[in-house]
Amino acid sequence: MGGNLCKWTISYFAAALAWLIAAEVLMVAGFGFPSADIAAPDTLVLVHMICLGWLSMAMCGALFQFVPVLVSRPLHAEGWILPAFVLLSAGLIALLAGFLALGGRMPPWLWLLPFGATLLIAGFALVAANLGLTLWQSRPLPASARFVALGLLAVCATMAFGGIFALALFEPAPGSLVSSVLASAVPIHAIAGLAGWLTVTAIGVSYRLLSMFMLAPDVDAGKSRLVWLFSAFMLGAAVIGGAVAVLVGQGLDLALMLSAACGLATLACYARDVAELYRKRKRRKLELNTRMVVWSFASLGAAVALGAVLAITGSLAAHVGALVFLIVFGWLSGLILANLYKIVPFLTWLETYGPVMGKAPTPRVHDLVAERRATKWFVMFFAASWAATALLMLGQPLGFRIAIAVIVVATFGILQELIRARRLTDVAAPLRLPAGALAPRLLITRT
Amino acid sequence: MTDRDDLIAAVRDALRNVIDPELGHNIVDLGFVYDIAIDGDVAHITMTATTPGCPAASFLKEGVASSAMQVEGIGSADVTMTFDPPWRPAMIAPEVKAELGFAELN
Repeated sequence: MGGNLCKWTISYFAAALAWLIAAEVLMVAGFGFPSADIAAPDTLVLVHMICLGWLSMAMCGALFQFVPVLVSRPLHAEGWILPAFVLLSAGLIALLAGFLALGGRMPPWLWLLPFGATLLIAGFALVAANLGLTLWQSRPLPASARFVALGLLAVCATMAFGGIFALALFEPAPGSLVSSVLASAVPIHAIAGLAGWLTVTAIGVSYRLLSMFMLAPDVDAGKSRLVWLFSAFMLGAAVIGGAVAVLVGQGLDLALMLSAACGLATLACYARDVAELYRKRKRRKLELNTRMVVWSFASLGAAVALGAVLAITGSLAAHVGALVFLIVFGWLSGLILANLYKIVPFLTWLETYGPVMGKAPTPRVHDLVAERRATKWFVMFFAASWAATALLMLGQPLGFRIAIAVIVVATFGILQELIRARRLTDVAAPLRLPAGALAPRLLITRT
Repeated sequence: MTDRDDLIAAVRDALRNVIDPELGHNIVDLGFVYDIAIDGDVAHITMTATTPGCPAASFLKEGVASSAMQVEGIGSADVTMTFDPPWRPAMIAPEVKAELGFAELN
């Protein structure tokens, strides 16, 4: 019973949301960029809370549930999920403490940086091995799963660079290879993480989820393969080309330009495929999640346009913080929050009503949510994310903090909607808990 | 109509207690039930789901078996999940199609 539900997916989501809210509150308080420099230790704390704590934990939780759906095969080792959670969480806490030590907010225990990095590498290795072996045993892979495989390679590359940075910060040795990697390879680390791991994986999963949720015919395999190839070239140019450039002591410009060109081609083809999925959907009436995902796609498009304008006008370095903010909040966070609004009620339904199906009347997944009430939180989230980006560009740190305060309210609103779904609060009484059904626990799925 | 036809109709009716949670309609009207055959007191049911690997599939299968066994005259149920042919929205009953707000179907 319930063999298709992952016990820990909801726990990963809960931890992810906690990290997101913690980071947002710190930003409202004026911690890190833009009050501090973009490379300051405080900013590194924020960036890693959001990219590892929020985005990566949410992505891992979703993949443990959805990779088996993508390949129609159970996960290689359900038992590895909790140890990975512990390693990732402990590693992130140690890494953040290391950054605080680096910035003088704690005693100078810089050993925390390589210690945290080691735990994180072990955690991601466990995640990548678990998902990777599941994929390996399912060859030939369907199109969407190939993106996940590429994303897993990207997270390994991101971790490798992160590990080298941690060593370089722990024991600075001017002139050494490790130090030159730290000095020049931060863009590779960021591209591998944000574009490779998070965006490429999200693209792959979205092909399947959009098609499932909107009952749209799958995108032609040839078209999605083209997107995959461009993604692979984007990642290869940044990681392999970039690493070679660093090793031979050359600048990264050529590798980054090649990577950006492939990234543009990836997104152009992906935009064409997403438009086709929406156009050909059988289910005409969109649900809140598929409506809000459109806004995250719009943010991604806006980020591409903004990046192009900044690069052409030579002002990319001055506004890279605003660009990264738009990608992280408008695109990735918006996308994940919109999908959580679908995934959490769906998994909660299966956990609660799946076992009594056919034995008692059950509500629909849709009965677990109140879309009209939830819409305002998403509108606030996206509007404030775009406003915050504009305020960063205009050099208005106070205005930026006010916009982030609105994002905090919106995030709490969305969190409250997810908790209501978990607690079946919006399900009408006669159907809420039929005989034999057990109320779900908030943080762990009953399997 | 023979007794067997009556029993098949009764099993089909019982399966209307099982809904697809996502679409919110019973699986018979959604066209998930491909075939029902009766052999003695055993109901052999061939069914599908919207997508292979769907986390709801095993629950649907168990729900179908439970529902069928509630029919008088059915002692056990043998449920086969197949994705050949794959389910298509065109298999939905016309009145449900309209209610779900579906586009022109193929």
